[in-house]
Amino acid sequence: MNDKNNSTKPRQGFLPITTNLFDRVFISVVILVAIHLLWMRFLEALLPLWIATILSLVLAVIILKWG
Amino acid sequence: MRRVPRNIGLTVLWIGVTILTLFPIYWLFVISARSRVELFEPQRLIQTTFFAENYIRPLSDRTFRGYIINSVIIATGNALLVTILAVAATYALSRYRLKGSSNIFFWTITNRMAPPAAFLLPLFLLYARVLKIGDWKMFDTHIGLILLYCVFNLPFAIWLLKSIMDGIPIELDEAARVDGATTRMVLFRIIIPLAAPGIAITAILSWVFAWNEYLFAATLTSVTARTITTGLAEFVTVTGTNWGEMAAVSVIALLPALLFLALVQKYIVIGLTFGAVK
Amino acid sequence: MQSPRTGWGLLAPTLIILAITGLLPFLYVVYVGFFDWNPFAATKDMVFAGVNNYRRLVFDNDFLQSLGRTLVFAVCAVASELVLGFLLAQTLTKEFPGKTFFRTVFALPLMVAPIAVGATWRLLTMPGLGPLPYYLDKLFGLNYNIGIFSDQATLTLVLMDIWHWTPFVTLVFLAGLISLPKEPFEQAQVDGANRWQIFRYLTVPMLMPIILTTVFIRMMDALRIVDEAWMLTNGGPGTSTLFIGIHIWRIVFPKTDYGYGSAMSLLVLYLTIVLCWLLFVAITSARQHEVEGMRG
Repeated sequence: MNDKNNSTKPRQGFLPITTNLFDRVFISVVILVAIHLLWMRFLEALLPLWIATILSLVLAVIILKWG
Repeated sequence: MRRVPRNIGLTVLWIGVTILTLFPIYWLFVISARSRVELFEPQRLIQTTFFAENYIRPLSDRTFRGYIINSVIIATGNALLVTILAVAATYALSRYRLKGSSNIFFWTITNRMAPPAAFLLPLFLLYARVLKIGDWKMFDTHIGLILLYCVFNLPFAIWLLKSIMDGIPIELDEAARVDGATTRMVLFRIIIPLAAPGIAITAILSWVFAWNEYLFAATLTSVTARTITTGLAEFVTVTGTNWGEMAAVSVIALLPALLFLALVQKYIVIGLTFGAVK
Repeated sequence: MQSPRTGWGLLAPTLIILAITGLLPFLYVVYVGFFDWNPFAATKDMVFAGVNNYRRLVFDNDFLQSLGRTLVFAVCAVASELVLGFLLAQTLTKEFPGKTFFRTVFALPLMVAPIAVGATWRLLTMPGLGPLPYYLDKLFGLNYNIGIFSDQATLTLVLMDIWHWTPFVTLVFLAGLISLPKEPFEQAQVDGANRWQIFRYLTVPMLMPIILTTVFIRMMDALRIVDEAWMLTNGGPGTSTLFIGIHIWRIVFPKTDYGYGSAMSLLVLYLTIVLCWLLFVAITSARQHEVEGMRG
């Protein structure tokens, strides 16, 4: 309960701005989409797309936890 | 007391600015008054004759009259709907302690920022294929456009009225309630009379924005609910050459703007910025 | 305080209508974007296609160029409007004869329907019909024809946008300038600061939130230009003024390629939201700096 409250409160993580939970989810989604789009444009010929998915999900978790 | 007014240079500058502002619209009037013979005389900036045919032809055309009537119906319907909804919504947001009301407020505002180009296709598909009852579709109906224009008119109306509602002292409500007034009585006897000027501005600006809208009207109508702006666009794509009539139709389309300008000039900025800048 | 039930009741119709016209199309476009769907193709039904539409989209040069074109147009137009609007707003902070009249007339373009703005400028710039090509040729020997020269077409659209929206920027800046406190400026003049220093170190920082808000609103509007360009140049000559809104319209509707069109719409929405959010973050941090500056 207490923990949940903390995550929704605005805080300063490694991101340059103060964020609350909604901001961090939003940033994660934006980055996820961007990685996939750029991957399809430049890297998919070499590496399959699911690597991008894993990569961006890992990044999303990092942002949600420490951002 | 000085004889020469101060900053007369600025007056000169602003005469220039005003000429630049008005010239395109002046030229529109000039073209709308020219017959086909006079049309191709760009060197002549002064127009002395008036070729009324340009106005009479479209106005006596049944289809085009229908467009104007549609525009009036849609703009009026939308202005009424938006005003009623916004009064109720802002009263609720201002007077009730609702859970998450600031988030709701923010969400309603963001609707205005959506790029129409991105919503054209889904709305077209929804209107033409999904939202239908039996044979009746939302596509090409007045009610469809009236509802749709709420997307950009409601956010601004809510913003405008919210600050006005917040400005009405809550003590007035409470005093009335002590005397046994119901919510409806408070709303109709106290809030609406006090907010009347703001409500009028909201209605007028909504009306003008709805009247001016083109993209959705062009995409989501085909015959029965076409508006004057789509009619204007048809002059370029279909007939193409009849510039005099096109100018006349443009003049008709911008008449409301001219009529209401002085009335709402001070509030346009609030209407367009959502009071982000007061 | 009255019961929240009544409050929700009063709010409900607004929320329902915005959900139908705002939220529903958004969810629907996300859904359709993952399908192949062309009702006039060999297979009429929706076929799940995963991210294939997006895969096609990131290699679609017409689409990408049209995005870039729209961005260039918006940046040029908005930047000019900011400079002009600021200068004009400065003059309006002073008293001079006829000010109220000028200010009212100046706001006229704001109320005119965008489609009528396009029509007006078309009549102004049509060779043989409008005075602009005629007098440019007579006075400067300049061959002006926006139906042929793409640079001129783009420039004319920028000029039209400046004509249409500078009044807005001016009025917003004016409101901002009037609301600034007087003391710092008087103090700076006592200290012997010149006009440029006052502008650079006082006016701009203090006006920053308003400047950014204006950039925000104007960029959003300029990026979605359709009506005016549709009327004035219809995307031409060639594809030089084919902005993203017109591109979606022209490519998607005649071809009824709904799945691909949805992906395109969604990507435009995505880019708009990202840009919107970046500007929003800039505004918030500018506001915070202002608050901290006042405390410090």
